[in-house]
Amino acid sequence: MRLLAAVVLVAGLAACSPPVPPAPTPAQAWAMAPADAKLATLYGESCKACHAVPGTGAPLVHDRKAWDPRWKQGEAVLLDHAVQGFRSMPAAGQCAACTPNDFNALIRFMAGREDSAS
Amino acid sequence: MAVSRRGALLAGAGLGVAAVGGGYLVATHDKPEPPAPPTTDAQGHLLWRNWSGVQHAYPAARLAPKTEAEVAEGLRTAVVPIRPVGAGHSFTALAPTDGTLVSLDGLSGVIDWDGDEAIVAAGTRLGALGPALAAKGRAMANLPDINKQALAGALATGTHGTGAGLKALHGDVTALRLVTPKGEVIDCGEHRDADIFQAAKVSLGALGVITQVKLKTSANRRLERNVWLEPFEDALAKAEERWAKHRNFEFYAVPFTGLAANISHDETDAPAIPRGPDQDTVFLDALKGLRNVLGFSGPLRKAAARALLGGTRPEKAIDEGWKLLSTERPVRFNEMEFHLPVQVQLKALAEIVAVIEKERPDVFFPIECRRIAPDDAWLSPFQGEPRGSIAVHAYYKDEFAFLYTLIEPIFRRYGGRPHWGKLHSVSAGQLETMYPRWNDFLKVRAKLDPEGRMLNPYLKGLFGV
Repeated sequence: MRLLAAVVLVAGLAACSPPVPPAPTPAQAWAMAPADAKLATLYGESCKACHAVPGTGAPLVHDRKAWDPRWKQGEAVLLDHAVQGFRSMPAAGQCAACTPNDFNALIRFMAGREDSAS
Repeated sequence: MAVSRRGALLAGAGLGVAAVGGGYLVATHDKPEPPAPPTTDAQGHLLWRNWSGVQHAYPAARLAPKTEAEVAEGLRTAVVPIRPVGAGHSFTALAPTDGTLVSLDGLSGVIDWDGDEAIVAAGTRLGALGPALAAKGRAMANLPDINKQALAGALATGTHGTGAGLKALHGDVTALRLVTPKGEVIDCGEHRDADIFQAAKVSLGALGVITQVKLKTSANRRLERNVWLEPFEDALAKAEERWAKHRNFEFYAVPFTGLAANISHDETDAPAIPRGPDQDTVFLDALKGLRNVLGFSGPLRKAAARALLGGTRPEKAIDEGWKLLSTERPVRFNEMEFHLPVQVQLKALAEIVAVIEKERPDVFFPIECRRIAPDDAWLSPFQGEPRGSIAVHAYYKDEFAFLYTLIEPIFRRYGGRPHWGKLHSVSAGQLETMYPRWNDFLKVRAKLDPEGRMLNPYLKGLFGV
């Protein structure tokens, strides 16, 4: 009985968590940019070519379904992948001018987690 | 029945699942990611790595100048060695430095026009330059296989596309602005500091930082692109007539398949037929799968490849040239490319395919064969005569030493000049015999950078300094 109550409670709590927004359309993805002008420039010159185009293999910008499993690995892991390169993503996303803070901010933007910035 | 490449491959994969069970798992197996250098070194410097991962460094300082004044001031005071970097696509150690890495990303865009010649900031990525020129109804005459490079980086290494009547990218540069490591700004062209101009057009980022170039452009025409597979022997037999016939022509020899993939482009006024999604990655995955499952038997692998790919439908697209001439290459690889006298290119290719099929069953990437018109830049691999390029690739997770031990000796025997940005082991003494103006280039380099502030250990070895 207690177990059943616990299962019902957890299911209820899960149902209360905010729904994941749908993935953007291709046009919406292409139009997105970080709010900060400097980051927007860096994004436009590097990450956007893959992360704003469906079908490249890169998780699409603001596609929470694609990004949430990655986000769970932690920002440090995602920073390592970005800086070192990972699978089809070349090192630093070919942004030689980006600093670690830039990468962290760009990852948060693409993952739809801008509210996670400290 | 003709089917698309994607359809043939998916049908084949489906048969594999039904008939061979675990064979499908073997086919799609991929090696784990190779270990990567740490994100920072012991001093906290951030990792820089090239596109393929074969080169890396931890620069002590990074500059990202947004103006030419910032370039000049930065170079005057930078920690040496100073290395400029564009998109980081070179496989050779041109960019690594434990001194200062100068990113060109802040110098981007079309600055001005002089008639039909565009004045372009050196850090402009080729993929951004296409639409920028198209907005004025103009285009670069040709584009390389990918469009991810920064313009200056592409020029610095003699980057090229294909077309018997088309020069490498630097062949259309009519003037450029160079900032030397002393902070001097030099505007040069055919009739102004001509020696510096002919040296600088292809200069490996060794003379300073080029901040802008003036480019001849062509009318932005639509091109008809055709891609089709055929037996390798037929492609070899018909390549010369196709180079003579088409505006752009190239073909890929696909080892262990007996097949070649041909790609042609010609000007047209026909209505656009957009290109559609990339099929090359699916094709590569199939070749990797064939290698994984049937690598133990060349004949079986060839028979399976012919069965899987032989009936694929030719592809056709019509669009503005800048949308068609380059291809997305998301699958990383390491590469060696040499530029050979045209008379021996196809003979060398046949020998390379034969030796790979005899000795290296792990190789599955297609081998790219192109033609490039001559130009007069001192360190241009196409200096003085047309050349035929052959590019051999190894998947980024596979061993690639065979490029040096098996392939490079063939290239050297046939009189090839290495691509400056791709893997090779040619030394200063050997380069002197390949390039008539080699010593003139070294004199200009010594004059512009007497202290060698732009030279990392790789360049010192390359130049024999």
